[in-house]
Amino acid sequence: MSKVIVVTSGKGGVGKTTSAAAISAGLAQQGHKTVVIDFDVGLRNLDMIMGCERRVVFDFINVIQGDAKLKQALIKDRRLDTLSILPTSQTRDKDALTSEGVEKVLEELREEFDYIVCDSPAGIERGAQLAMYYADEAVVVTNPEVSSVRDSDRVLGLLNSKTKRAEESGADPIKSHLLLTRYDAKRIGEGEMMNVEDVLEILAIPLLGVIPESTAVLRASNVGLPVVLDDKSRAGKAYEEAVARLTGEQIEMRIESEERPGLFQRLFGRTA
Amino acid sequence: MRLAGAPDDQFYESLDVRLQQTPHFFSDAPLIIDLDQAADLVDPADLQWLVDNLRQRDLSVFGVQNATADQAEAARAVGLISLSGGRDAPLRGSRREEERKPDPAPEPEAAAPQAAPPPRTTTNKLVSTPVRSGQTVIADRGDLVIVGPVSSGAELIATGNIHIYGHMRGRAMAGINGDETARIFCQSLDAELLAIAGLYRTSENLGAELRRKSVQVYLEGERLRVDPLDRTQNRSGQ
Repeated sequence: MSKVIVVTSGKGGVGKTTSAAAISAGLAQQGHKTVVIDFDVGLRNLDMIMGCERRVVFDFINVIQGDAKLKQALIKDRRLDTLSILPTSQTRDKDALTSEGVEKVLEELREEFDYIVCDSPAGIERGAQLAMYYADEAVVVTNPEVSSVRDSDRVLGLLNSKTKRAEESGADPIKSHLLLTRYDAKRIGEGEMMNVEDVLEILAIPLLGVIPESTAVLRASNVGLPVVLDDKSRAGKAYEEAVARLTGEQIEMRIESEERPGLFQRLFGRTA
Repeated sequence: MRLAGAPDDQFYESLDVRLQQTPHFFSDAPLIIDLDQAADLVDPADLQWLVDNLRQRDLSVFGVQNATADQAEAARAVGLISLSGGRDAPLRGSRREEERKPDPAPEPEAAAPQAAPPPRTTTNKLVSTPVRSGQTVIADRGDLVIVGPVSSGAELIATGNIHIYGHMRGRAMAGINGDETARIFCQSLDAELLAIAGLYRTSENLGAELRRKSVQVYLEGERLRVDPLDRTQNRSGQ
């Protein structure tokens, strides 16, 4: 049974595309057949982060409009043979997405892939709504600061109301997970940013992982390598664990912290 | 509608301003003219002129109250019913209205809707999931009970009381149809805004000592009171 996972946040710049790339690469690394779709029509970024921007011929919009077959548009990753990328158009805008078109493409992908990761654009408009509409699960990417948390909360509201699973009676609601990114233990220790508990209290969804602020993330983006494939970095490791939790593994949450011990224990108790 | 003397041009001017602010609220609403403070309005012709003017504005005048004997006769002459006695609520409502948005040209004749009470069928609403930022939950015929957190940027609206069993960071508006007996009960207060029957307080003037406390919010005359629940319990026990 294939799963459609939307990576979304509301706010821009929190690390959605980085996370979508890392999660899909992580799933593929575990051997799951995975495809990652860029829904950010007009601001094509995913293919750059995945390092395949020079191989884009046809895109998501071409497929939706019937100008190309899905097989022609899918790009197979050179590092992981279980991973494919469906890039988006740089020249069109979000109006080119149609609900029927997205549904048709997703149905076709469901037949072939175990996981379909949708990289949502920022905001809560059409592009973001279509990216989440057919999702089975959601990864809500949040930075530990108030405006990001508030936007994530808004997105959680939309996930519970403006999606297929919310509108269909009898369907289970979308399973939402929190991915806390750009976590800077030093700044949190100094009280400049919110700690994990504060964020969890407001959003009230299970914690998938905490990705530390790391120079490895930008470096990986620059060279087009999903950060999860960068074995040495802490961020890569954190993504790997988040992906494992996403597939149902029980892994203890390890958060680098300058706070008192005991926090890990309490957090784990909360999300388990 | 309460009059304080025979209406003049200024009255109609401020009435039009009020109607423009809420164009649909008074439209076709049944209306009674309160003559308690307008004893000089006895000429049937004056009354007729007033009624014509109000009806031109889609206000459905059908009666007068607190009329003197002469006024009652004049009212009957122009086809209005004379009712005895008035309720307190609209008076308080009108005073409050003035307090809240002080008119540039202070007009004693504030219009308070004297609508006939709607049939009371209450349907309460229970929500047991978190209320997220940007969501609005409305109980348009009764109480609203939330079991779960309410995020900042979320709105709770009820014609009756509002109960929140969870951390309350959003906005709550109880008694939106003007029910001044409505209350808000809140397990952990951190609200952006609390309002009862249109009288509101924002987080700025809620007082830091009440933050994260269990409180009830109610109207005491013109004041919106926010009391910790344990203290009020003690008081009502006395």
